[in-house]
Amino acid sequence: MTQVPLPLTVQFVPAYPLLTARLCLRPFTRADVDAVYSYRSRDDVALYLLDETMNHEQCAEAVRMRTSQFAFTSEGDKIFVAVERREDGRLIGELALIWRSVADQQAEIGFIFHPDAHGKGYATEGATALLDFAFATAGMHRVYARCDARNGASAAVMERLGMRREAHLREHTQVKGRWDEELVYAILDREWAERRSR
Amino acid sequence: MKTELTLKTDRLVLRLLQRSDLDAVLGYYALPEVQRYLDWKARDRFEAKAAFEAMRKQTRLTRPGDIITFAIVRRVDDTLMGHVSLRWTDATAAQGEIRFAMSPTYRRQGYGTEAVRAMLDFGFTQHRLHRIFAVTAGGNMPSIGLLQNLGMRLEAHYREHALFMGEWDEEMHFAMLEQEWRRGVMPYRAVRNKVA
Repeated sequence: MTQVPLPLTVQFVPAYPLLTARLCLRPFTRADVDAVYSYRSRDDVALYLLDETMNHEQCAEAVRMRTSQFAFTSEGDKIFVAVERREDGRLIGELALIWRSVADQQAEIGFIFHPDAHGKGYATEGATALLDFAFATAGMHRVYARCDARNGASAAVMERLGMRREAHLREHTQVKGRWDEELVYAILDREWAERRSR
Repeated sequence: MKTELTLKTDRLVLRLLQRSDLDAVLGYYALPEVQRYLDWKARDRFEAKAAFEAMRKQTRLTRPGDIITFAIVRRVDDTLMGHVSLRWTDATAAQGEIRFAMSPTYRRQGYGTEAVRAMLDFGFTQHRLHRIFAVTAGGNMPSIGLLQNLGMRLEAHYREHALFMGEWDEEMHFAMLEQEWRRGVMPYRAVRNKVA
């Protein structure tokens, strides 16, 4: 993997590649466009996302931006990691960590996986590595995640991660022309530490 | 909505604030037990007067972001006991937020509940809102009880989501939809730690 030089102001960067039992988490490269297109172009993937389905050009632009989004330097920064299955090297999805507040040490985590790779615990496994980074390296106090209330699979991942359901918002906004219903899950640093020490 | 608005309930009149209300509002606004849960911090009479002047200008909901603030006045003796506001937060989704403060002298007599109920009716009926929400601190039991008595659902219970004056904050969000208001909801008793 090509090593991209870090800006001097970088504060927190994951020790890439982040390896788990079955996965390799690494920054995006320009070679990832087709793989990203294979899931972001699908209606069943976009259904529960705020984004619409993306065409190849939009995927290329998103990947281009993501190649430089791999570390935290200031509030609002996003870390996007490509999730590769170690067994066959296939890019099966992506994880995101967003630095929501520096003063309050808050971050948001999110994930999108190719439907072929659903139901195998990959999201839970990848998110665990990213949560370790968020709490142990970046010193976050609380990490939250949001999902469409209809997206039971996503909510189940959050529950497997030990996150608590903090909110169930009904018709609080409109998304894609219809009423939105949203779940918010969260976990605190001490809760994550307790969970990881078990 | 240019006309002078007044909302009437059994025991209350909700009307816009007037210059002559200053002393009555200052009488409770800067009290520590009221200040603790207010967003606009006023440590002294000068700052409380600035807050009052801002509220006095909140007279109509013309565009998103606008706030209307009513004085909560007891009809029998014209006593100003607190204030209640409605902020139009979102036009597309027709959302509004209610905030209120009561003088500790007039609490525990149902006046706050009566005033907030009138404000819900105003928001849903006159302003055609789809959803109205209210946010309280996790420890503000009088407000939590008041909102639950009105049938508002606990939608969110955020823990340690922000630092507030050096301590981790806990925040609760209550909400009601227009169809729930129309249906006439029963007092909602949430399990405290369970989001509905």
